[in-house]
Amino acid sequence: MTRRPSASFPSRRSGKGGAAAVAVGLLAAVTGCSSVGPQAAQSSSSGGASGAASDSYGTSATSSQVKSGGTLTFALSSDLDMLDPTLSRSLYSRYVFDSMCQKLYDVNAKTNVVPQLATAMPKISDGGKTVTITIRSGVKFSDGTAFNASAVKATIERNLNLVGTARKTELGPISSVDAPNATTVVVHLKQPFAPLTAALADRAGMIMSPAAIQKYGKNFAQHPSCVGPFKLQQRVPGSSITLVRDPNFYDSSKVHFDKIVYRIITDPNVRSANLLSGDAEVADTLSTDSVVSLQSNPKITVLRSQSLGYQGVTFNIGNANGVGNPPKALTTPAASKAAVREALEYSINRPLLIKSVFNNLYSPACSPIPTKSPFSQPVDQQCAPYDPAKSKKLLAQAGVKTPFRLDMLVSNTPDTLRMVQALQSMVKAGGFDLNIQPVEYTTLLNLEDQGKFTALQLGWSGRVDPDANLTNFVGTQGSQNVSGYSNPKVDTLLNRAQTTNDLSTRKSLYGQVVQITRSDAPIVYLYRQSNLTGIASTIKGVQTFPDGVVRVAFAGFSK
Amino acid sequence: MTTAIPVAAATTLRTRGRRARIIRRLGRNPLALISITVLLIAVLVAVSANWVAPDSASATDLAHTFSPPGTAGHLLGTDDLGRDILSRIMFGVRASLEVAFLAVLTSLVIGVPLGLIAGYYRGADSVISRIADVLLSFPFLILAVGLAAIRGASLSNAAVAIGIAQIPGVLRLVRSDTLRLKSLDYVAAALVDGASDRWVLLRHILPNATSVILVQATVALPAAILGEAVLSFLGLGIQPPQPSLGTMLSAAQEFAARAPWAAVFPGVAIMLLALAFNIFGDSLRDALDPKGSR
Amino acid sequence: MGRYLLSRAWQSLLTLFAVVVLVFLGIRALPGDPARALAGEDSSPSALKAIRHEYGLDRPLPVQFWKYIEQLLHGNLGVSINTGSSVDSMLATALPVTFELTALAMLIASLIGIGTGVLAAVRRGKPVEWFANGFALIGLSVPHFWLGLLAILYLSVGAGLFPASGFVSIWSSPLDNLHHIILPAVILGTGLSAVLMRQTRSAMVDALSADYVRTAKAKGLPWRTVITRHALRNSLIVVVTVAGLQLGELISGAVVTEQIFSLPGFGKLTIDSVFRRDYPVIQAVVLVTATAYIVINFLVDLLYSVIDPRVRVAGKDS
Repeated sequence: MTRRPSASFPSRRSGKGGAAAVAVGLLAAVTGCSSVGPQAAQSSSSGGASGAASDSYGTSATSSQVKSGGTLTFALSSDLDMLDPTLSRSLYSRYVFDSMCQKLYDVNAKTNVVPQLATAMPKISDGGKTVTITIRSGVKFSDGTAFNASAVKATIERNLNLVGTARKTELGPISSVDAPNATTVVVHLKQPFAPLTAALADRAGMIMSPAAIQKYGKNFAQHPSCVGPFKLQQRVPGSSITLVRDPNFYDSSKVHFDKIVYRIITDPNVRSANLLSGDAEVADTLSTDSVVSLQSNPKITVLRSQSLGYQGVTFNIGNANGVGNPPKALTTPAASKAAVREALEYSINRPLLIKSVFNNLYSPACSPIPTKSPFSQPVDQQCAPYDPAKSKKLLAQAGVKTPFRLDMLVSNTPDTLRMVQALQSMVKAGGFDLNIQPVEYTTLLNLEDQGKFTALQLGWSGRVDPDANLTNFVGTQGSQNVSGYSNPKVDTLLNRAQTTNDLSTRKSLYGQVVQITRSDAPIVYLYRQSNLTGIASTIKGVQTFPDGVVRVAFAGFSK
Repeated sequence: MTTAIPVAAATTLRTRGRRARIIRRLGRNPLALISITVLLIAVLVAVSANWVAPDSASATDLAHTFSPPGTAGHLLGTDDLGRDILSRIMFGVRASLEVAFLAVLTSLVIGVPLGLIAGYYRGADSVISRIADVLLSFPFLILAVGLAAIRGASLSNAAVAIGIAQIPGVLRLVRSDTLRLKSLDYVAAALVDGASDRWVLLRHILPNATSVILVQATVALPAAILGEAVLSFLGLGIQPPQPSLGTMLSAAQEFAARAPWAAVFPGVAIMLLALAFNIFGDSLRDALDPKGSR
Repeated sequence: MGRYLLSRAWQSLLTLFAVVVLVFLGIRALPGDPARALAGEDSSPSALKAIRHEYGLDRPLPVQFWKYIEQLLHGNLGVSINTGSSVDSMLATALPVTFELTALAMLIASLIGIGTGVLAAVRRGKPVEWFANGFALIGLSVPHFWLGLLAILYLSVGAGLFPASGFVSIWSSPLDNLHHIILPAVILGTGLSAVLMRQTRSAMVDALSADYVRTAKAKGLPWRTVITRHALRNSLIVVVTVAGLQLGELISGAVVTEQIFSLPGFGKLTIDSVFRRDYPVIQAVVLVTATAYIVINFLVDLLYSVIDPRVRVAGKDS
């Protein structure tokens, strides 16, 4: 029932919670489960490659359904790094931030960006170089400071300039920020940057109290103050985070709990055990295995949403001198011959992998564009068929001997190991002798950066704007281009998509990138995880959208 | 020098007679016989796993995962990837034994000479004992993680980590036995006769310390088997897809509620193996004990 | 005695310093980089540089080491690279958990181990001895993390007798605290109780055949008094030593037990920090373990001399 240490990483790139346990015969249990309500059917999209079972995002609660008061205990799957929107890097910090730091924009169930602290979608002018945002008035930070345009300006400037900021690249080429009046913010860009709005719907858009920034500086994390339904009361690193209701919150009539306690429980089985015993009312990132027993329990509801990320196999094509250095083509067959990489595509039986290892709770993936994203088009999600004969033919074409030995680095968490062992036996038929090289996660990250690998298995948690799933990974200059992939055509397309604000144009540009990268195959995409959240039936109003954030701030104990 | 030979010869003679007595005593102890049988079977299985095991250890069968024990062709059932648990246990026993012997060998090869030196030369003693102290006060797991991180987690690295952790124990035992033997009359006599330190250490002290070393080894072997299980369980030992009893448990715990057999059998195998070593060690100690009642 | 203490203290300091240096250099020689571990997905060369700078990891090793020693001398263990909180506060929350776990395990092991050990020695050749011996052998042979696994599977999840995991502070609810920690403590104590039982038994067997016990018996003292006052008292020397030396083992065992039962203790802190290459935390963790080991050894020696005054003389030349 334990999880091995590396699983306690707040990382979404490891297989953690990703390649979780299997549950044979679960499919029937899920589809036949009454807890998947009508809302679920609505929100589940039918486009492209999707799992057999349907998604269920949860519904928001109305004041007539829930009573006021009580403490919510949330079994959180990973400890966080710093509770500072500028410095925070761990994915799960967004879960806690959701209750304490509202953003200029939010993401809704359909993965569309919608206003939160802003009052409308940004007005874009000057050929995309000027972005004007109007914000709410009469709003206060938890420390009582007034929320206004200059606070937004201070936050954005902090995100751009603070030493160690994790937000700078997300915000793009901002040249300056103005606050012409209390409710208007004007962002000036050196060149158009379409992903900005999506960035402001994430940590970069969480506005911090200027007074707190001033007072605590880099120690803001110890005394965070934002606009939010709750505010930090206490944090015990590695153990718990306690939030209390913020009386200054502008929309406090919608807030029902007095307190939220995030208890860090890294083991997925233990999280579900806590859920079952009533020690926790909400648990995130359930293992696909534990979902089986939870589904059959009338006291528990399981929410499921397909994530925006992916898991895949990355090939080293030109990462000879480490990430950040110019790619230099490698001569190994797997690097120099696209046919070898393409062959792997055909030797993977994605549906079988999903069924046998993840019990159909996850979905096949063959593109970095999330299926649930407004940017997705059916052709993006069209996976290569499982065709071992074709794989062998491609390998023969490439002139390599079969079985072709492919060394693959993987993180040594049990979940990942399980998945790659299934993969290993699967690709045999296609002429691959997959040699699994398990290493510790931290070591894996370093080997990846240094380019000391032939292939490796990792994933990406995904973002709302596809730019964040593509440019960093397959762009020549990408900070995450561990493959060392470089294709001028792809770079041009990505740049055009970045500087265009029109959705349909961007959609088709990304579609072209997907097609090119599919045959170049620097990354072979395997599957998309699902965000699996368990909720006690005593609670109403918890929601999880494809972005994975478990939204509990406006939930309550049912009447 | 020449005068030392009769003493040495006498020692050997004494040893030979003792050996026969020890074997006789072991033979009369039913528990010893059982444990020896179990160990022999384990070694046999380990050596011949390639031929004896009903299935390959890594052959997955995604259509038949979690078959319960007794399923045709799978006496102990199958695991999450449809692999035959019995076969995996057989290969796992091999890995466990390899690690255990390698680890104990490591600890003996380093610990025994150091113990002899520390016990024999006062000057070296303080330095060596300090090193042992440092080693002992160092959390074993951090050492293991370090080794795994530098050289990659593997069977041999797990063995080395366990072996290093066992050095202080060996060292202390051998040291105190050396201290004791050094003060015995015949050693003193040999020294007076002009025997070199090396001669005395190798011809007089080491042979007489063998029983202590042997007993220590029988204690260390089961400890190393358990150590391997823990390391592999934590992901620091043998790495999948290579089968090991520890990794089997690590993988099985995730779905232990659904397929308890996958979590129970490898554990039982570890326990039986360790138990057999422990019982054998006890019997050996009794047999070696000059005060032994039988 | 004073001189002995002084030299002991000096030796201990030396050992500690060696450990500190070893760990400082050792962990930095490991592949894997705390900055990279912290950056996770959001890594870019510039971000990594900023993190390294922030935590002084870009400075030359001797400078880093000097900074560390300087901090240490001021009683400051530094700041965790991962959470940004002080290592002191992390230890302050983790140590009590482990202390409680190991202390309770030690208590359980002593009660069971010494009790059955005495019984086995007194009732030699009787079924009691066989039973006790068998128990000890199994206790020594069973992987206790596996036992923990089975206990969770059957006692916690199956029968619902115990919480499967987690920890409640003793200050917030002593009863809840006990409910959470008793199962892990029993599991952790099993192996130790086997060791203690065997040591007690053999020490008691020796003691019971010793002259002074026979004399006491011949003097007509009640058997019970002979056993408790004389034989057991003398046997305890051995037992205390073993128990003391086993504490290191116990701490290692606690690491695994805490993993299995998800107890937010020192062991979890150790594992997490090592895997994240959180240098300040690893350094602190090793320092604490080494200090604990040294102090315990010292206490064992002291206890020794309380139980048996002769040891003081012997202790001098060892």
